[in-house]
Amino acid sequence: MNLGKVKTIYLKEMLDTLRDRRTLISMILIPIILFPVLMFGMSAVVVMMIKKTEAEVTRIVIIGKEFAPDDFENKIREQDSTEAIIYYDAAELKSEFTSEKLEDRLEDYQDSVVAARLRERQIDQSLLHPIKVSKRNLAPKEKMGGFMLARFLPYIIVILAMSGAMYPAIDLTAGEKERGTLETILVTPVSRLDIATGKFLTVLTASVITIILSTTSMSLTASFGFAKIGQFASEQQIQFSIKPLSILLLLALMFPIACLFSSALLSVALFAKSYKEAQSYITPLMFVVILPAMISFLPGFELDWRLVFIPIVNISIAAKEVLLGTYKWGFILLIFISTFIYAGFSIFVTKRLFEKEEVLFRT
Amino acid sequence: MITTSNLTKIFRDKKRGEVRAVDQVNIKCRLGRVFGLLGLNGAGKTTLMRLLSTTLKPTSGTAKVAGYDIIQKPEKVKEKIGFLSNDTGLYNRLTAEETVTYFGRLNNIEESELKGRVEEIFGTFDMDEFRQTRIDKLSTGMKQKVSIARTFVNNPEVLILDEPTLGLDVVTSRSIIQFIKESKKLNKCVLFSTHIMWEAEKLCDDIAIIHKGKILEVGSLNELQAKTGLKELDDIFVEIIGDNRGE
Ligand SMILES: Nc1ncnc2c1ncn2[C@@H]1O[C@H](COP(=O)(O)OP(=O)(O)OP(=O)(O)O)[C@@H](O)[C@H]1O
Ligand SMILES: [Mg+2]
Repeated sequence: MNLGKVKTIYLKEMLDTLRDRRTLISMILIPIILFPVLMFGMSAVVVMMIKKTEAEVTRIVIIGKEFAPDDFENKIREQDSTEAIIYYDAAELKSEFTSEKLEDRLEDYQDSVVAARLRERQIDQSLLHPIKVSKRNLAPKEKMGGFMLARFLPYIIVILAMSGAMYPAIDLTAGEKERGTLETILVTPVSRLDIATGKFLTVLTASVITIILSTTSMSLTASFGFAKIGQFASEQQIQFSIKPLSILLLLALMFPIACLFSSALLSVALFAKSYKEAQSYITPLMFVVILPAMISFLPGFELDWRLVFIPIVNISIAAKEVLLGTYKWGFILLIFISTFIYAGFSIFVTKRLFEKEEVLFRT
Repeated sequence: MITTSNLTKIFRDKKRGEVRAVDQVNIKCRLGRVFGLLGLNGAGKTTLMRLLSTTLKPTSGTAKVAGYDIIQKPEKVKEKIGFLSNDTGLYNRLTAEETVTYFGRLNNIEESELKGRVEEIFGTFDMDEFRQTRIDKLSTGMKQKVSIARTFVNNPEVLILDEPTLGLDVVTSRSIIQFIKESKKLNKCVLFSTHIMWEAEKLCDDIAIIHKGKILEVGSLNELQAKTGLKELDDIFVEIIGDNRGE
């Protein structure tokens, strides 16, 4: 390998890539704006919905008005019991809301009636509640925040790592075939290995930039934006701060997977003859990544001796645990090693493909 | 100098089976001369040129280009040649200057000499006007100029030009023809392919007629005329190819 040549190719490919609008959008814009848009969009929708339902005047119909209030109140006054039926439409959110409100009111009223009756008989209320149950949440604030973040962040970042590498990978291979620039570079005195390495490093850079930007954007969004929803959603303010060590580990865990994605995408896209063909190969590949990455959504999965060897799944679970502040160093090391081995194998395949004229000059 | 010995390339195609794209080719292109390859579509011109530029590996046989064997020393061969075809496009998002500089670097030009060399090239090909313009903003003619500048950046000893005038207007074609003539004066060895008979008539010192991968006839225009008793190159071409239609 000639490092000078690799550097020349890398610098040129980076320049070329940074001038490509499609790549800029997927590599820089999307990772930066995705999280704030998701968070603020979500909180805005929630706030709007709550405000709207609060502001809305709900109309109810009382059936059997002729008995109410006299008959109803009489029964209560006479220490008797009576009945109220709430008819509602469970398939309508508004109706359901209203029925709950009504039920709450009726229960409040019932409580006050019970209290009054007990008072009359000079019985203490505590007689009805011999055990007073109260719950205290011991989870530290970070963990509460981490719990929500940890479920979907690994998933989103794995996908962004892939999508950030996708356009440069296609552009530098199938795109070059389509524009006829691949042959131009093949007739220069540069080895195929140097070309492949320069391209691989470019795609890897794109993927790593995407990962760093999205992780940064997510941490900032989390600490600013989430606090607000937390306040709104419950009295106990949830704090969405993540430990710096967790962030660093998350970034480190993503690195081998970025290597794997970059070389896999390069190989697939190099095989294609055109941009379009490459996209049609990569779309199904996207699902191969999305499904295992989704494991971070599912409860009950913890790293074990089998899962640490399944690519993507291992990273997804490890990232979730790391965000929750659990560091299983042995497993993390194993994940590093195994993912680097997979990536190494994939890089080897990429290199071989670059040496195959059937692939480079596919007709 | 280009010398080939039994150079052969067989493609294995799913539908067509074995395709002998280049079949036992033996040619010699000398310095200071223009060697023309004439052939129909699919005759094997591009494949032969790709073999000589080492982007494809021969199935059997070999060749020497600028003193180096194409199988043993492909990097050395690439250093000595300038290769231009319709499939050698340029990077749209680079400027003309960035393009020439990039290919200069890849061709092992020392960083200290690179600037001077780029300067010289832009002067020679009269491209200063669009030096900082991105390739995608250039006209076809300007792009072709940049391509030629790219081919020339390493001052190649051998030029391999695959249908360099295809799709160009009269004026741009003429400038390419002019460029080939000048290269000849500079004592370079030029191998070029075309379908256009008058171009070959005007330019070539040696003409080879290639058909289904085989070289059917080689010689100067005079020699070919003498052999067939015909005057015009297109008649000569059809006559030679015609003899071999049946197989
Ligand atoms: N990569 C490849 N794989 C399989 N077959 C190929 C490949 N490249 C060329 N061929 C076949 O080899 C033969 C020669 O093709 P080639 O492109 O060399 O012809 P050509 O003389 O350059 O034609 P044209 O004038 O159309 O450019 C054709 O039959 C072509 O289909
Ligand atoms: Mg051709």
